[in-house]
Amino acid sequence: MASLFKDPSKISVYRDRRFSGTQEEFDDALQASTTVYVGNMSFYTTEEQVYELFSRAGEIKKIIMGLDKNTKTPCGFCFILYYSREDTEDSVKYISGTILDDRPIRVDFDWGFQEGRQWGRGKSGGQVRDEYRTDYDPDILLIGGYGKLVQKELEAQRQLVDYGAGSLGSFPPVMVPQYGRHGGNQDYGGSRRHGRDYHRKRYRDDDHRGSDFSKRNSDYESRRTSDHDSRPEKNPRFRERGDSDDEEDDDRKRRP
Amino acid sequence: MCPDYGGNDDFKDHIETCFGAVRRELEYSEDDILVFLLQCAEQLPHKIPLYGTLVGLLNLENEDFVTKVVENTQANLQAALDSGNCDRIRVLMRFLTGLMCSKVLQPSSLVVLFETLLSSAATTVDDDKGNPSWQARADFYITCILSCLPWGGGELVEQVPEEIERVMAGIQAYMSIRRHVSDTGFSVFEDIDESNEPDNEKDFLEDLWSRIQDLSNNGWKLDSVPRPHLSFEAQLVAGKSHDFGPISCPDQSDPPTALSGIAFGRQKHEAESKYPQRIRRLNIFPSSKYEDVQPIDRFVVEEYLLDVMLFLNGCRKECASYMVGLPVSFRYEYLMAETIFSQLLLLPQPPFKPMYYTLVIIDLCKSLPGAFPAVVAGAVRALFDKIADLDMECRTRLILWFSHHLSNFQFIWPWEEWAHVLDLPKWAPQRVFVQEILEREVRLSYWDKIKQSIESAPVLEELLPPKGTPNFKYSSEDGDKTEHALSSELIGMVKGRLSAREIVSWVDNSVLAIHGLDIALSVVVQTLLNIGSKSFTHLITVLERYGQVISRICSDQDKQVMLISEVSLFWKNNAQMTAIAIDRMMGYRLISNLAIVRWVFSPSNVNQFHISDRPWEILRNAVNKTYNRISDLRKEMSSLKKSVLSAEESASKARAELSAAESKLTLMDGEPVLGENPVRMKRLKSQADKANEEELSVRESLEAKEALFAQAVDEIEALFISLYKKFSNVLVEPLRDAYKDGMLRRTDAADEMPIDDEDSSAMELDKENEKSKKSHSNGDRSGNDYTVGEKEQWCSSTLGYVKAFTRQYASEIWPHVEKLDAEVLTKDVHPLFLKAFYSGLRRPTSDLV
Repeated sequence: MASLFKDPSKISVYRDRRFSGTQEEFDDALQASTTVYVGNMSFYTTEEQVYELFSRAGEIKKIIMGLDKNTKTPCGFCFILYYSREDTEDSVKYISGTILDDRPIRVDFDWGFQEGRQWGRGKSGGQVRDEYRTDYDPDILLIGGYGKLVQKELEAQRQLVDYGAGSLGSFPPVMVPQYGRHGGNQDYGGSRRHGRDYHRKRYRDDDHRGSDFSKRNSDYESRRTSDHDSRPEKNPRFRERGDSDDEEDDDRKRRP
Repeated sequence: MCPDYGGNDDFKDHIETCFGAVRRELEYSEDDILVFLLQCAEQLPHKIPLYGTLVGLLNLENEDFVTKVVENTQANLQAALDSGNCDRIRVLMRFLTGLMCSKVLQPSSLVVLFETLLSSAATTVDDDKGNPSWQARADFYITCILSCLPWGGGELVEQVPEEIERVMAGIQAYMSIRRHVSDTGFSVFEDIDESNEPDNEKDFLEDLWSRIQDLSNNGWKLDSVPRPHLSFEAQLVAGKSHDFGPISCPDQSDPPTALSGIAFGRQKHEAESKYPQRIRRLNIFPSSKYEDVQPIDRFVVEEYLLDVMLFLNGCRKECASYMVGLPVSFRYEYLMAETIFSQLLLLPQPPFKPMYYTLVIIDLCKSLPGAFPAVVAGAVRALFDKIADLDMECRTRLILWFSHHLSNFQFIWPWEEWAHVLDLPKWAPQRVFVQEILEREVRLSYWDKIKQSIESAPVLEELLPPKGTPNFKYSSEDGDKTEHALSSELIGMVKGRLSAREIVSWVDNSVLAIHGLDIALSVVVQTLLNIGSKSFTHLITVLERYGQVISRICSDQDKQVMLISEVSLFWKNNAQMTAIAIDRMMGYRLISNLAIVRWVFSPSNVNQFHISDRPWEILRNAVNKTYNRISDLRKEMSSLKKSVLSAEESASKARAELSAAESKLTLMDGEPVLGENPVRMKRLKSQADKANEEELSVRESLEAKEALFAQAVDEIEALFISLYKKFSNVLVEPLRDAYKDGMLRRTDAADEMPIDDEDSSAMELDKENEKSKKSHSNGDRSGNDYTVGEKEQWCSSTLGYVKAFTRQYASEIWPHVEKLDAEVLTKDVHPLFLKAFYSGLRRPTSDLV
């Protein structure tokens, strides 16, 4: 539609430095991508909040929270994978710049999630943007309404989801590599178009394919050795009930 | 521009500046200017009079360029007519009208275009020669003609009075032979209880026709269309008036054999989907808000607003600034709000996802902070007052919009205004509305924050959802020791990263064999859900890793229904997680859509139909997912078909090259031999082989997709049959009781509705209740005087959902109508159920036997 004001071929000003291909390949990847990057989120925003908002643009396949390398808690960004390109575009068009959890979030096309990208790249372990926070100040929003103090108080009662703990140990597990790969090393030549589509497309039915299961399982198996923790099962989201054995830990993760 | 919004309206100046710049550049970049000019005219149609005048001025300098403008426009219009691109047809016709005003186009050319469309329309609605099922297209053509008149009616009457009179007479004649279009099924406010009065309201075209007649009687004067060409009239008359080549309307499809029945209904549905009505006015504000606005100005401003939202979708800043900067001299914020809400609530669906309108409203609240937020609040109040009559799907859209809107404005709302809903019975639509908004707000934010936001009306806390914690059966030591032990054992195995296969064999040997199915199901499902309860990702990971364990236990539909019940028990405090978990399980094919339908229609859910969105959300997801699967397959098939064509092409090309080379004579060692040199031959041969292989492989994948598609078609048919059977069964008794003789019968609000019978839908009638029922006269449903009894509300909500589902998936349902007629819509279904289904399909009730 709005070709007058938008150059459809330039869809992102942001260029991921970890993308290994050329600028052209990067653009192609963005054009076809069904993944969005969401930035400037509150650390306290949960996947379920993200789901509620972003599923209004279309059926969501996966959500990958960006995590602080050190604390394994959310650090203000995530990736969302949709099933369809149209829904992906709508999510960028309609959600970017709106408020989630009191913060104006930004939504951009992403070239596709790859294992490892969920970790914050900042030196302190968090998101890069966070360390140079300039353009997005959540406090601008807090005019009128509840005062900042009330706001802070409410925030302080919230819990960060701890992805490092729990019985599934190696969280966030995720990402079948094939979903992330459609940007980089694929052959974009016409002769392989059909085959490429097969791998790139995310079928709603894929979810039940047996091959996926075994692949994913082996993926977990191979990672099982890494950070196996044998702490008792707990659910940080509901730790208020006081069954947690590491209250100190929790305090440390609260926003000061 | 309306000066109140800070605009300025010196068109003359603008046009002169623009003309100066274009004239300078024209000889260097004519082609670019042509493209850009046409793009501007098409995508910013509210500025068409300005572009028309600009072209008129250029016509004085460079006739050839303007010839190209006219020719291009004609070609574009023809293409748009052929492809049925409604927006483009409408806008290009307006542009041609603008060109006519600036003396670029001969008025008679425009009249010829009108007459072409008119004659096509008249033929279509003719019972003998045409195909009346396509009236939607005919009406659309007439709408396009009428829509040009505010922009050039005066000029046409002045220059070609007889011709335009002929056109008007033709339209009058058309109006007399076409059928009135009933809004049934598509109207935002409708009381399903109302009897079948034929609606006396004008339909869209009749309404527009009367506005245009008023305009004509008023000497074609209106305030909403700028006439910049008048300032340049003295110059413009010197320009050459161009002619416009012939335009033809596409042929209509063959008429169905009868003027009613399924074939007619299908074609009518197709026509209405391709040529949808653009707007249905809501009329939510008192008419005093528009009293300065002439009816025709209202139409024009709506056109402007709809066009800006259409063409500037995705450009937030520009969209908002054009919406508040329309070229009109009066204030129009009420009109703007009503137009946006009419789109948000447009049935069967708005042009864009409902979320788009959330964004537009947010941006306008920011652009006009003094004026717009109050108008939006006024719209919300007006809709809230009429919520009981609002279509069920519109209610859902409104709830999603409002919660999202508030989440962008710190959840501030004067909730005390609505505190009174707590005095209403729990099924009162206003109360349910408030409760569902709070539910969605909590999902977008968090419980404590929303509790804080309703501080001004603490009684509403009662309507907040529970804090969404899991309800894990084995979290404490009390309860069944055996199950608890099994659960701990399973947790241990998951922690020890046993494979799904190992756990399956544990379930087989140590749980199922010893403790039986019920315990196995409860232990496994509860425990796995608890492990996955931390987040959405945790849930999918558990399901991906251990889905096999669940599918081992829940191998058939009965057990899948039990599984869903267990999920709903585990997440009973969290509607969102219930819905997500069920949705994902359907995604992994752990449960079928049929199992979901069965569960949704189980008694405990049926009892919720009128008081909660919970069961409906789950049902919507299941139908939607089934629909998404089939439409994905359609898209894939269509792209594979294209690949087949191109593969065929390159294969036949490769074969042709090979055979050409084979038949060539080459001199080898002085002797003529058949075929080119061996190296080249070999290469061509391998190319041809490869192309053939490629073609074969694409064909095979297409065949595979087609097989999957056939399966999906069966699946969706089975889903609809099961869904409507359930609806019909569950409705039959309550309807018979509540609507004797098809008439509304009010009962006491305190009446309890017993629905116990497993799966049978039968609602037991309590004899005492029966006696105590009183017939109320038609109760006033607005405000606090809500007097609808529980059973009636249950019936009207459920019928509302029948209509909403039918309407949303009408395109998928039409192909299966024969089967539904035969298997579901049999003699013993209740007429009101039938009516809801028919109006969802917009199937003529005359088809009712």
